[in-house]
Amino acid sequence: MKILAFLTNQFLKRNAKFSFIATCLALSACGDSSQNLSQQALNNLNKSYPSQSGGTLLDATIGEPSGLIYMVAGESAAGAISSNIFNKLLKYDKNLDLEGELVEGWQVSSDQKTITFKLKPNLKWSDGKPLTSADVLWTWQAVTDEKTRSPYASDFQLVKKAETPDALTFSVTYDQAYAPALDSWAGLQILPKHLLQGQDLHTTAFARKPVGSNYYKLDSWTNGENIKLSRNPSSVLGQAKIDNLVTRIIPDSSAQFLELMADNIDSMGLDPIKYARIIPARPELKQKLALYKELGNSYTYMGFNLKRKPYDDVRVRKAINYAIDKQEIIDGVYLGLGIDIASPYKPGTRWSNPDLKPYPYDPQKAKVLLKEAGFVDSDGDGVLERDGKPFSFEILTNQNKEREKSAVLIQRRLKNVGIQANVRAIEWASFISRFIKTGDFDVVILGWGLGLDPDQFNIWHSSQQAPGQFNFIGYNNPSIDMLLEQGRTELNPDKRQKIYHEFARVLLEDSPIVYLSAGYGLSAIHKRVKGIDNPAPPAGVGWNTYDWYIPEPLRRAVPGRTEISTN
Amino acid sequence: MLKYLIKRVLWMIPLLIGISLISFFIMHLAPGDITNNEASFNPKTSEESRQKLRELYNLDKPVIVQYGLWLKRMTTLDFGNSFASHQKPVFWQTKDKDGNVTKGMIQEALPITLMINVLGLIITLTLATPLGIIAARKYGLWQDKSITLFNFIGFSIPGFWLSLLLMYWLGVVNNWLPISGLHSINYESFDTWGKVKDSLSHLFLPVVIPSVTGLAGITLFVKNGMLDVFHQDYITTARAKGLSEHQVVYTHALRNALLPLITIIGLSIPGLIGGSVIAETIFAIPGMGKLFFDAVMMRDFPVVMGILTIGSALTLIGNLIADIAYAWADPRVRRGVMQS
Repeated sequence: MKILAFLTNQFLKRNAKFSFIATCLALSACGDSSQNLSQQALNNLNKSYPSQSGGTLLDATIGEPSGLIYMVAGESAAGAISSNIFNKLLKYDKNLDLEGELVEGWQVSSDQKTITFKLKPNLKWSDGKPLTSADVLWTWQAVTDEKTRSPYASDFQLVKKAETPDALTFSVTYDQAYAPALDSWAGLQILPKHLLQGQDLHTTAFARKPVGSNYYKLDSWTNGENIKLSRNPSSVLGQAKIDNLVTRIIPDSSAQFLELMADNIDSMGLDPIKYARIIPARPELKQKLALYKELGNSYTYMGFNLKRKPYDDVRVRKAINYAIDKQEIIDGVYLGLGIDIASPYKPGTRWSNPDLKPYPYDPQKAKVLLKEAGFVDSDGDGVLERDGKPFSFEILTNQNKEREKSAVLIQRRLKNVGIQANVRAIEWASFISRFIKTGDFDVVILGWGLGLDPDQFNIWHSSQQAPGQFNFIGYNNPSIDMLLEQGRTELNPDKRQKIYHEFARVLLEDSPIVYLSAGYGLSAIHKRVKGIDNPAPPAGVGWNTYDWYIPEPLRRAVPGRTEISTN
Repeated sequence: MLKYLIKRVLWMIPLLIGISLISFFIMHLAPGDITNNEASFNPKTSEESRQKLRELYNLDKPVIVQYGLWLKRMTTLDFGNSFASHQKPVFWQTKDKDGNVTKGMIQEALPITLMINVLGLIITLTLATPLGIIAARKYGLWQDKSITLFNFIGFSIPGFWLSLLLMYWLGVVNNWLPISGLHSINYESFDTWGKVKDSLSHLFLPVVIPSVTGLAGITLFVKNGMLDVFHQDYITTARAKGLSEHQVVYTHALRNALLPLITIIGLSIPGLIGGSVIAETIFAIPGMGKLFFDAVMMRDFPVVMGILTIGSALTLIGNLIADIAYAWADPRVRRGVMQS
């Protein structure tokens, strides 16, 4: 399910080092027609076909998973593949509402502290053994075990008591009502107790030959080359249409794109250049590839060190917010493939407050606010001063092309209002350990990739400021603290929605960070793959991969090597 | 001779310890460790879980203590397990109690890189030697100039750019060669001949491109070696004796001119096992260069140290072999060794 979202995210994260090469290639070769497919084959791609099962879907990943036990592997490359093999208790549907995956239903007790899950009957692992509440309990024990080093354990450590009254019932009790609990159970992949009991999750061979219960099972894993999945005949959710999923490991995005052009893979995540310039400029690619864009749960922001002067002054923060032209960044850096946001939630979802408007670009207002805060250009050099010190700072970011470019645009806009900014890009691990953990920075450009639950306690609550915690900007606002605490304990979605709408309003008003943009996740999928929702629903284009199908006339004669039959 | 060899081999031990010590400290000078890679900057993860990880890997101890622990393991040739890749053994395969064999990371990557680079070196040498001879014999003439021009074009073209162009032209436009990877998806279903053909077609670009771009240096070496030798008295003597030009060049001059090549090959051994990050990334080849680069970026210390140690050991052995080969090929060197 997560394949596409993963690809696009990974793709955006990588510095697209060689993408300009691909651009040159594509542009210089615009004239000639590199027809891999005959015109008739291309026409066939646009016909409609009845849904049928069979075929092989080929895609590519930039990074190889370290293993397929997601709770210990942790990286998105692992999640993209393991989510096809394992099930969770709950899942998000097309519209991002929770529904049962392994469970028929769940009940929240009246004190909101206990959740009781009722498993579907007759669930089976792909090796034929029954899947029961004992497996669920064992998975919870494994993720919270002392010896397990899971990056995602913290949500599950809050469970005070977990019980299995019978083979189909699993109940968890929290110390106090914990609203993100349901989301956490939509993230935990249930593992088979009978194969893993007594083993060390960190070394077990199971991580490279897993047995799950979902639509697919692992066929083979060739190190550094490919991972092949095939349909699991005893899948608990019914049968997926496509027989085989093959993920090739291709670390270079330009090479991935060449493979896509040559018809050797069916889908990949794109960067804005490929999406908005290269593919539209090439008729054959346009005919055989369908392009998709979807908003992710992520955004880029400029954050201030609120413990330092003058960033502790809300007027200064607001002035900088007004001084930056976000549309310019979206157009210039993301080629228009992003949107301006006013809250830390994906626009269009229930948590995003529709009444909030982003700070407009207004340099005059910025100047007024800076003057109010005591900044004036007393020596006439174009840079504002306060108490004799010029207003100048360093914008730090990691080596990410988009962020570096954004920083340069911001630098120019800040200069216009009399603030001198320098840009510095630093390798990731150094960036985190030398600047973020020590709090030794003025201004950073970074991004947050968030889950689907609205709880952002870790990022904004004043208690989360120790080195290594996520409120590294040092935000401390009692009314935000209170709203975050309320939101965590309120399980009623409507009441919760009100709390987070208010939270986002206060946050926007206080401007501890400047929201720069939320970029679209972009992807291309070969038109031989049918059954894809376009435009993508809130859950993303990959929400129903089990329903995708490849009509027989459009399948590869030999998987992995071009040629589509023309009948 | 034997005494000399034993002395050289024994010297390698303190040398290796020194190399590992310096590598270990330099590696720890870089800020950060495995617990702050990009995936860890995820609000779902907690600082406690990262601290737990640090304790488990002894990353909370002073560097010198960590080095001592590493050295202690090394005495039993235990290179440890990777932090980042599900505890895969760094060097050689291990077997768990159920009989599942987990291959070592270097064990898997080294043969691939070695195969590609040795093939490339062979191609470079077979092309560079005749080109160098021709350039020397036709020194200053158009043949020499065009060889020099060709070589310098090859030398100046960035390998990754040429790779992408050829991948596009041979793989996308014409569909003659596969674009990336080591094998086709359906490799298993081929017969033996099909498997050989498939492997060769996948290896073609990764092998040929570095050898063409690496041609310039070796050609120049052969050419200059030949030119030096041509000016020696014994060549004048050979010519004066009335030997044919063929005999002068190939029997008398070439053997002496090729001597420096032994040094070159000796020096290229670190490159042979190191692999190239860029080429391996572009062609999706799971080799040593990619392994090392990823390990450094992830701060996967056992893997970094494993590759550095095995790399330096192989380099030292390579140098030794080159020295022995030199002594074998050149009587002057041999006499010098005996005397010392």
